[in-house]
Amino acid sequence: MSGSGGADRKSKKGNRAQVWEEAGGEFYQESYPGATTSTSNENADTADAAAHRDAAAHLATMLPSKQAQHTMGKATTRRSRNEGKQSTRKRTGNRSRFNTVRRESNINDVHVSVLPDFAVENIPNEERTWEEIMQIKAMPVNMAQKRELKAKLKSATKLRLQGFEQLKWQRRKFWQRCKSNWKEFYTKLELWQGSLKTIEGNFGIGVVSYFLFVKWLMFLNIIIFALTFFLIVLPSAILEPGQLGQCDPAAEDENNTSIACCADKYQNYTSSNNFFYDLVQGTGWMEKTLLFYGYYTNDIYTLNKEYKLFYDLPFAYLVTALLYFLVSLIAIVKSAARGFRERIIEGEGQFYQYCNLIFGGWDFCIDKLKGAENKHKAIYNEIKGCLEAERLETEKQNRSKKEKCQLLFSRSMVNTGIIVLLLVSMVTIYLVFTLSRSLLREYQKAEKHFLLFFEFMPSLMIVSLNLLLPLLFSFLVTFERYSPIVVVRITLLRTIFLRLSSLGVLGASIYRLVSCDRRNGCNCEEEVPLCWETYVGQQFYKLAVTNALTGIAVTFFVNFPRAMLAKHFENCRFLKFIGEQQFELPNHVLDVVYSQTLCWIGSFYSPLLPAFAVIHCFLTFYVKKFACLINSRPPSQVYRTSRSNYMFMAVLLISFVAAAIAVGYSLAEVKPSRACGPFKGDEPVWNTVKLSFAKLPSWIQGFAFFLGTAGFTMPTIVILLLALYYYNAVTAANRQMVLVLRRQLVLEGHDKQFLLSRLSTIIKQQQQERLKNAIPPPPSEFDTLLPPPPPEVMNSS
Amino acid sequence: MGQGSSQFSEEELQDYQDLTYFTKKEVLKAHQKFKALAPEKVGHNRNAKLPMSKIMSCTELRVNPFNDRICKVFSSSRDGDCTFEDFLDMMSVFSEAAPLTVKAEYAFRIFDFDGDDMLGVEDLQQVIERLTGPQHLSDVDTKQLIQNLLEEADLDDDGSLSYAEFEHIISKSPDFTSTFRIRL
Repeated sequence: MSGSGGADRKSKKGNRAQVWEEAGGEFYQESYPGATTSTSNENADTADAAAHRDAAAHLATMLPSKQAQHTMGKATTRRSRNEGKQSTRKRTGNRSRFNTVRRESNINDVHVSVLPDFAVENIPNEERTWEEIMQIKAMPVNMAQKRELKAKLKSATKLRLQGFEQLKWQRRKFWQRCKSNWKEFYTKLELWQGSLKTIEGNFGIGVVSYFLFVKWLMFLNIIIFALTFFLIVLPSAILEPGQLGQCDPAAEDENNTSIACCADKYQNYTSSNNFFYDLVQGTGWMEKTLLFYGYYTNDIYTLNKEYKLFYDLPFAYLVTALLYFLVSLIAIVKSAARGFRERIIEGEGQFYQYCNLIFGGWDFCIDKLKGAENKHKAIYNEIKGCLEAERLETEKQNRSKKEKCQLLFSRSMVNTGIIVLLLVSMVTIYLVFTLSRSLLREYQKAEKHFLLFFEFMPSLMIVSLNLLLPLLFSFLVTFERYSPIVVVRITLLRTIFLRLSSLGVLGASIYRLVSCDRRNGCNCEEEVPLCWETYVGQQFYKLAVTNALTGIAVTFFVNFPRAMLAKHFENCRFLKFIGEQQFELPNHVLDVVYSQTLCWIGSFYSPLLPAFAVIHCFLTFYVKKFACLINSRPPSQVYRTSRSNYMFMAVLLISFVAAAIAVGYSLAEVKPSRACGPFKGDEPVWNTVKLSFAKLPSWIQGFAFFLGTAGFTMPTIVILLLALYYYNAVTAANRQMVLVLRRQLVLEGHDKQFLLSRLSTIIKQQQQERLKNAIPPPPSEFDTLLPPPPPEVMNSS
Repeated sequence: MGQGSSQFSEEELQDYQDLTYFTKKEVLKAHQKFKALAPEKVGHNRNAKLPMSKIMSCTELRVNPFNDRICKVFSSSRDGDCTFEDFLDMMSVFSEAAPLTVKAEYAFRIFDFDGDDMLGVEDLQQVIERLTGPQHLSDVDTKQLIQNLLEEADLDDDGSLSYAEFEHIISKSPDFTSTFRIRL
């Protein structure tokens, strides 16, 4: 029976059992009396076969592995595995003996095994007992039994630890207590617990992961702000500025202005404007504040004349920039690595799609009825989608050549169209930028509102493009007929590219403005600002403000009325079409990541921008919460946390790299302005590092240079390549091993079923013979193994 | 909070902290939740046994499709009625600190509708029914789905999932740890 059944299933999974196919079901199909294999008559044996299967099943419940599941043994085997992972103590004979006894016993026998063995070397010491008590919580028994167990463990005799071991154990206990106290304290402080629970109750964990991401970004911005504040802003504000070099007008001529004179010129330059306009644009009185790069000097502040303590501000400025990029990178990589490690572990072998959907599908934290209904619908849709996709797979392979060509054509058209759109948008931004500058030049005497509008033109243009083009993208992508996951990814990539390229064009236009040969005079042309870094800082400040305000405005003044329309006019299909929105995670993620990119790039030119970013993140949480709970109806697709986290980190990493490249290029290549800032002069900022490096002791310099020589790098590269190849080979071998072991496991299962069925057959035979001979059966142990034979068998014999 | 701490002795709180994945504050919070279900009864006896219907009416379990199974699994008297200690056990297993093995163990018991220590075809059918709620999958689809499930997970080909197989696929399911969680 098992043989034939096994052969059917094996033929379905041909790939799996290919190597072992030779030792197939046929091998097991011997003909022996009573065997319900293909040799026996089909009709007469259906009842017999059923009884046979029941008997085998009954036997199966008596297997030791099944018995162990009913007792605590299962828990202890896993406990011993956990212990091996957690504790670093060496295993003594005592511990393994303790566990083997537990493995075979029932809960009722536990107290017997816990009773002390009077051999001295087998008495557990305090620390072991404490560890064992800590492990009780992993046992799958109820609380009353756990308390019993703990009481018994506590009251069992144990050795006191001596001396150093005592100290180590006390330290461990103390550390555990500290950790739990810290956890309690931390949960008290935790921000937004209530809001997260509400969102969770309605939408499930997938959407909550987005809000956790916003929270994470906020804390990252707080750290960046702390860095810039304490290293740059505070010293500049507190310490007395040194004396600037004096500007001697007599020594100057038209073609050669010194840095000091440029700085003087800049200090005396003011632009008079309205208070409010200055606040919003960052010009006028705002320009000379701590907010912008131009305020900071290239002084080396003296902290203490006697002890010769200096605070080198330019160096500090540069180090802070490097630091906050490094901190952000470490935070992103750590967060991504956590998810990455999990993906590797599950990714080995296949991804159990259906099991993940069914067993991990229901969000146990949903507690609202509406949320539960939506989740039911979402799971139903996902199941149907997966089954559909399976059927589509076969269809896809059967696609005719003509269809393939058509699809290829439409896809290339769409891609070309999108590239054209992107190019057009980039050109538009550049044109708008130059237009705004020329308009500002022309209409200097015009009304203040017009001037304001001209100032904000580039930012408004960028923000509106960011709003409109993604809608076009999602419309166009329908013509490409990708599967839903691919659609999300492609749209996401295109939108990221749009946003980053718009920033890039802005940067490039500014670069074109300020890069020139400046040997004469303080700035390139008359209209170019004296302090271009402050100008860049202002542009990013304006962009950040516009971005934030637009986000809030769109949520409250555009999407909220839409949602209200859809809710109140449910019968009108047109209004419903306009009004209904879904909480689409990718777009919201991009919003947040975009503002973070602005923060990263802008922080170098505007050291207080991280504070603005912190406030913006804080407000974003509430704005998005409003959008989620009130504007949108729940998503009809299941947002998997694992995949979402991966997407967040990937998008963030791409933006981070872009920001780092932008800032890095401006540090290394672009000449700073002569009139202001910590890096006044003609050399790029990176020179400061070179100068400081030259001040280091010669052996460090020698070491650093050695690291760069070919004699070091070539062997290192070769060794790394070899290591990579080795680990690759080991991974491949392990993967193969997993396959082999799995096949073996399948066959062991078949073996077990075969043996069980043979055993039950033999027992049945014995019973039948006994009944035939009408001998009263001697009490044998086999009687208990089988259920009593059904009445029909007795009659037929 | 003060009222709660006067009900439990320090030793009991320490016990609960050691034997669950909760801190003392969380234990008290759980007790508050439990008390809110039946204030007078729990006021008399802080470890009172509440009927299954009351437990299933608490906010966390109200709309859960498996709420009756959860109550049955964690109830010490196996009939669904839970004492406070059972409730505490339940919340501890569903908390974030509980490791995957503990969660997998209890998940297996919850999904095992007929209690035979194996997730057979009927068990899986019931799980799917409960998951899809008011929308019912057609018979063909259900059969296909169960077949796919068994193909993925059933390693020894016996037509049902044993605990070892279940634990194996749970360790490879990335969403399980995040979804099998109840926040107090």
